[in-house]
Amino acid sequence: MRRSVTVLVLAVAAACRSVPFRVEAEHGRPTSRLRLVAAPGARINARLKPALELMDGTVLRFDSPHRTADSAYFADAPTTERALPEEAHRGVVRASVCPSDEKICRSYELAVRW
Amino acid sequence: MYPRLPWIAAALTSVLGLGLLAAGRSDGSGARPAAVPAAGSPAPELTNGSWLNSDRPLRLRELRGRVVLLNFWVFTCYNCTNTVPSLVEFDHRYRDRGLTLIGIHTPEFPPYAGEHDKGNLSRALAQYGIGYPNAQDNDSRTWNAYGIRYWPSFVLIDKQGVIRYTGYGEFHLDDAHFRTWDARIRELLAE
Repeated sequence: MRRSVTVLVLAVAAACRSVPFRVEAEHGRPTSRLRLVAAPGARINARLKPALELMDGTVLRFDSPHRTADSAYFADAPTTERALPEEAHRGVVRASVCPSDEKICRSYELAVRW
Repeated sequence: MYPRLPWIAAALTSVLGLGLLAAGRSDGSGARPAAVPAAGSPAPELTNGSWLNSDRPLRLRELRGRVVLLNFWVFTCYNCTNTVPSLVEFDHRYRDRGLTLIGIHTPEFPPYAGEHDKGNLSRALAQYGIGYPNAQDNDSRTWNAYGIRYWPSFVLIDKQGVIRYTGYGEFHLDDAHFRTWDARIRELLAE
């Protein structure tokens, strides 16, 4: 448990530098579920669902049924879930994030392992 | 709902960010813009080969004598599509007076997201009533040539092919930013 918490702190520290979201994992059998949690003030573009690109080329998309009233952004953390072998637990998360106060969108990539 | 999995509580939240690959815009090739052409610089030529609302690829050298407004956008960007009514209005107001509005459609994601697809872009143009030319910038060549970072972005080019104004961010019909861009267009048309 201590190790999990330590890893989370590192992930948050990395995210705080400039990526306006963090990725959380819930490990299970047989599936793992990843959640994309936006930083305060950041909105994750729901028209362009975030993606987890695995090392073998597989692409998993994050989604959530809960959207903002204009349907443009996720109202809660989108998730993706898949049964994967342990060695496949790494890849790149790609997301389009639109800060509410800037009226723009930017693309971000974050390498992840869980 | 994530059902009946008591192990979740004990195994919560353990993703490690291996490292930041890129913050901000990342094109498919990983290449970064070499330089951002500033106001007063010659506008980089358009070299895109696939166009909609135009019977042939447009080139800036053929548009000398006209004011050109480039709009960097993508149809999956809400800030971009919210700005389209203003751009359509500019097109209606000023096309006959010498303005050429050009959409540079630059995808955010790799092709699996559908932004590269010409049919999808064509449907978006119809959906938003866009009648001005649009280039498919699927390899981000124009995005990179202009050093663009955000969706939407704008570059206003004078009749001599010189960049005069740049900017970014959503705006709406008759708001302050709309009026600013409107004034800039009229200024360049009057030169």
